[in-house]
Amino acid sequence: MDFAQCLSDGTREIFTTMLMADVAGGNPWDRSPEEFDRDLTSMVGMAGGCRGLVAIHCPKQVALGVTGFLLGMDVEDFGEDVFDAMGEFANMLAGIVKAELSARGLEVSLAIPSVVTGPDYSVDSSIEGENVALCFETDHGPFLVELQLEGSAVAA
Amino acid sequence: MGKSVLIVDDSNTMRKIVARSLRQAGFDFETILEAGDGQEALNVLDGNSVDIILSDINMPNMNGVEFLRKKAEDPAIAGIPVVMITTEAGSDILREALNLGAKGSVKKPFTPDQIQATLGDYV
Repeated sequence: MDFAQCLSDGTREIFTTMLMADVAGGNPWDRSPEEFDRDLTSMVGMAGGCRGLVAIHCPKQVALGVTGFLLGMDVEDFGEDVFDAMGEFANMLAGIVKAELSARGLEVSLAIPSVVTGPDYSVDSSIEGENVALCFETDHGPFLVELQLEGSAVAA
Repeated sequence: MGKSVLIVDDSNTMRKIVARSLRQAGFDFETILEAGDGQEALNVLDGNSVDIILSDINMPNMNGVEFLRKKAEDPAIAGIPVVMITTEAGSDILREALNLGAKGSVKKPFTPDQIQATLGDYV
């Protein structure tokens, strides 16, 4: 399985099992995540057999919608519930990527999720290798899923 | 007397999802207790009767493996079954948890049916 397929299948699995909501698309996003219309990024770093980063970039309405699905209630604004839910979304997706890396003989550990919000921000990492980004559609709008992996993982 | 469960996860969202999934899976716990890490779980166990524990592995302060070690040292709580709910499917740290006495594991993301299948033998 390539990493784009892993990200796509993992995202759909999370929506099907945990959010019980529809998700469509999953097309490659060939531009920088900075060019995606986003208000929040949740991410989980990976270290060990290779370094990597799983990130979810989304506009506010998608973050509120995803949080609402996960918690089973309406969520009206950014707050701890949203940050925690979007961090957990990234954490579950990172776990799926970790399992794929493990199948290739690369054991990694996952960092605690972190979340960035604001009108204008960038997410920089020093990871050089493969960068995969897929754009999905929900009833609340689009979101971007990104995976950065250093070269040793791509070659495995 | 109704049964009680302790859910241990640093994510408030995940604790709510696990509680909801337990209800959807048909479990009727009278009491659902929560803790944000292993140390909080030990504190909860100090003052409450618990029939089963569902615990994450990756948590700040005290993770799930260290929690299992500490729990095993206390005869009053050592016998309470623990099921791990974690993203760490098939990993070394999950194997360590199982070696320390965890009864099984559920991989995140999960369905209520998967919760039912794993917990059914212990509740």
